[in-house]
Amino acid sequence: MRPTRVWSLLTETLANLRRGGWGGLAAVGAITVSSLILGCLWLLTVNLQAIMSDWKAQFEVVVFLRDDITAEQRDLLRRRLQTEAAVAAVQYTTKEEALAVFKRDLRGQASLLEGLGDNPLPASFQLRIGEEHHTPAAMRGLVASLERLEGVEEVLYGLEWIDQLARMVSGLQVVGWAVATILGGTAVFIVGNTIRLAVYARADEIEILRLVGATRGYIRAPFILEGLFQGLLGGTLALLLLFAGYRYVVWRLGLSPAGLLALDGGRFLEPLQVTGLLAAGAVLGGLGSLLSVRRFLKA
Amino acid sequence: MIQLFRVSKTFGRDVEALADVSLHLRKGEFVFLTGGSGAGKTSLLRLIFRDLLPTSGQILVSGRNVVRLPEREVPALRRLVGVIFQDFKLLMDRTVAENLHYVARALGTPEAAARRKIGYLLRQVGLLHRANQTPYRLSGGEQQRVAIARALLNDPLILLADEPTGNLDAELAADVIRLLREVNARGTTILLATHNATLVKEQAKRTIVLKAGRVVEDNGA
Repeated sequence: MRPTRVWSLLTETLANLRRGGWGGLAAVGAITVSSLILGCLWLLTVNLQAIMSDWKAQFEVVVFLRDDITAEQRDLLRRRLQTEAAVAAVQYTTKEEALAVFKRDLRGQASLLEGLGDNPLPASFQLRIGEEHHTPAAMRGLVASLERLEGVEEVLYGLEWIDQLARMVSGLQVVGWAVATILGGTAVFIVGNTIRLAVYARADEIEILRLVGATRGYIRAPFILEGLFQGLLGGTLALLLLFAGYRYVVWRLGLSPAGLLALDGGRFLEPLQVTGLLAAGAVLGGLGSLLSVRRFLKA
Repeated sequence: MIQLFRVSKTFGRDVEALADVSLHLRKGEFVFLTGGSGAGKTSLLRLIFRDLLPTSGQILVSGRNVVRLPEREVPALRRLVGVIFQDFKLLMDRTVAENLHYVARALGTPEAAARRKIGYLLRQVGLLHRANQTPYRLSGGEQQRVAIARALLNDPLILLADEPTGNLDAELAADVIRLLREVNARGTTILLATHNATLVKEQAKRTIVLKAGRVVEDNGA
């Protein structure tokens, strides 16, 4: 394509966008909304997955010991734990260490500790579990066998909770795709309608072009580009809104303990995903105009 | 240059616009196509630049079989044929010059060459001083001449004119015909549809008369 052609195509497209007015705005709005919802779900999934993998990496089974356990029983128990195939590492925490950690965690709220007489916290073994044993069934078996051992007060593990979270995330993805598909379809329809109006508004020009022998591509290109521009604009707006919303949420969560605990500052979409979101907007716009031009522009 | 073999065109089920028309226009001819309203003049012109397809028969334009032409080669055919439309088909929200530039761009004429050509054509049709006005401010005759200039942009081999003097008084009509004869003198084949019998008589050129879609007279076949 010659530079003059590119230039005239661009100016024509921009002029059409200006002429499009409210209809064009509706198209951009529809793409913004559907891209935004897609982006929200994406962002949520990305963060939940990050949280899950963090938790999985830190995942441990805690074996709390009875206060009356003897040193002998404890050594026996440690050796027994080390023979378990699922256990990758064993670490011992005394009652005193447990209290020290507890106090550190409650720093600034020392008054809570005042009523505490004797150290009520039990000693414990923390077991690191090999990645391949991170399944609910394997964990249940392990926990059941550990609870029967002598000197064991209680066994705690959080995998079931993580598993529930994982199910929630995949459910979220299904719902997300369904919603995104419906909204995307609506956006394509609205863009198509805008382009149809643009085609009607320019019927005279199109007829002249057709009759003097302009090629089909020459006649269609400005309309397709118009849809692509609308899509790209919608995608960009969605991305800006998403980023603003994300910063706001992180800021709000940052004030609450839950945020500090879980989100670890959170994460935004990767550059590739950002590109993907913009591309999704452009594809919606381009598809809408392509379908419309095919249907309403007989050249 | 243009050949029609037993061409018929029926609209819908039973509206017969053209019936069994055979014609041969040679290169460089200036031919009048005449007949009353509804005789099929406009349909015949539209068949030549493939704005219509015939119901039966074959059409050859500059060696191309118009009927069998693949869709993607239609633009190339239309570039050989300049058309002056009965209703001018000008863009009323653009100036005269922009109307011509719009088409030049579509035909891929480089900007500088287009500017030269448009200046030349507007001088030819006597409208250089109107270049920056919109067609609204032009008289019917002036609009007609813009349409002629536009049809000549691409140096067409064939010029089809549908009632180009239809809304003009005798003096302006004579101007337009003079202009078209100059174009013809440079080698362009011209087919001019008109119901103006006086005009046809004055010019004493080959004349094809259509009546109810049939050729009833052709003094130069």
